[in-house]
Amino acid sequence: MKMHGITYCVEEAIASLRRQPVSVVLSVLTIAAALLVLGGFLLATVNLDRAVSRWSAAAEFSIYLRDDISQEQRVALNALLARHPAVASREYVSKADAAARFRRDFPDLAAGLADLEQNPLPASIEVRLDTGKADSAAIEGLARRLQQAAGVADVRFDRRWLDRLAAIAGGIRWAGWLLGGLLLVAAILTVATVVRLALHARRDEVDIMLLMGAPIGLLRGPLVAEGILQGGAGAMVALVLLYAVFVLVRGPFMTAFGPAFGEAGVGFLPIGSAVLLVLGGMAVGCAGGYLAARNVR
Amino acid sequence: MYGRGIYALRDVSLVVDKGEFVFLTGPSGAGKSTLLRLLLRQELATEGSVKVAGRDLAKLTPGQAQAYRRGVGFVFQDFKLIPSKTVLDNVGLVPRVLGATSVQQQRRTFQVLKWLGLQHRMNAYPLELSGGEQQRVAIARALVNEPAIILADEPTGNLDPDLSLEIMNLFRDINARGTTVLVATHDRELMRHVGRRSFTLDHGCLLEPS
Repeated sequence: MKMHGITYCVEEAIASLRRQPVSVVLSVLTIAAALLVLGGFLLATVNLDRAVSRWSAAAEFSIYLRDDISQEQRVALNALLARHPAVASREYVSKADAAARFRRDFPDLAAGLADLEQNPLPASIEVRLDTGKADSAAIEGLARRLQQAAGVADVRFDRRWLDRLAAIAGGIRWAGWLLGGLLLVAAILTVATVVRLALHARRDEVDIMLLMGAPIGLLRGPLVAEGILQGGAGAMVALVLLYAVFVLVRGPFMTAFGPAFGEAGVGFLPIGSAVLLVLGGMAVGCAGGYLAARNVR
Repeated sequence: MYGRGIYALRDVSLVVDKGEFVFLTGPSGAGKSTLLRLLLRQELATEGSVKVAGRDLAKLTPGQAQAYRRGVGFVFQDFKLIPSKTVLDNVGLVPRVLGATSVQQQRRTFQVLKWLGLQHRMNAYPLELSGGEQQRVAIARALVNEPAIILADEPTGNLDPDLSLEIMNLFRDINARGTTVLVATHDRELMRHVGRRSFTLDHGCLLEPS
């Protein structure tokens, strides 16, 4: 389509949008609602992914040792850890160090610990992993071997719950796609209806132009452009609303869960995702406009 | 053919030469409008063929059909002007859609309007015009693409006798410039006045040409 065709389509689309402001506003709000839901899920999963990724980088084993562990068992355990490629570093935490940490992290409960005749906290080895050097199966294998090693009371492996968290994030993402997808279908049908109404309002004009030989592409073009403009506007409204909700919720959320998300905290959608959301809105509008435009023939 | 075996036109075979002016006449329901719609490719014949300048209209793709229509000007009985657009915009609509620059479009539109004596009404809206003026605007719109053929379906059906004569004289002038003109009318008085070849249809059948 030549430049004049595009200009003509856009001008006609804008004129048509002005002719039926109420329907257009409703259509834009429907698209905005659909994209707001999709964007909300996207925002949640983006931040959850970021957190999981951060926590994964800091993944570690905590190997709790039995109080009666022998020197030979301790040497064997260290040898096992030293040989494994996924082990980046390890730190021995004695029973006294564990008690000191407890008193530091939970000062309210420190008095209770002091009342006990014997320190109940076990000594442990904290292992930091280099996940780039071994796959999760190898790390799982190491965890199982450590669990069965002599002198080990228990092994706490962060990755297991991180994997579960990642699976939950994936579930949320799919739920978002599913719900958002359904709403987007509704949005497409709404746009198609509104554009069809616009077509109905100027049906005589279109019929006359058809009989005068106007190219079909130029008769359908304004309807598609109308859908694209509605979709783009809906996406922009969704982004603005999403940002407003994000700003409102971020404060209380960080107060409650801030430590889990670290210094970087939670962030808004990356620019690429925001652009994708706007393009998605325009694509939704385009699909709705095209559905209506098929009636021109 | 309509459904249930009813023929709108049957055994109609006629040839119109380039540059000719012919009338299609007959009572209401005779098939005049159907024949014009076939010529505009608004409808396709269920049997037989319609050829214009050697091209079988049934074999045109949608794009080719639109290109063909640009070479055919159509004038309706009820004018079919767009009420929300001025005379200038109504006439200049198709050149604009086809990409004529604003200057080209205005020049061409103005030339046609001037020829039809409507230059002083170009900023008026259709509902502000008389019936005769509206039909002249419709003719201007049909002419603006410089078509090789003009098809007019009862173009004087809504006009009084004086205006009808004026419109018919316009068609005669258009024909004098080399454009082929087919006018469907049942106004025999007008046909006698213009005095051109005519085809008479009755119940979808062509009677002897006169």
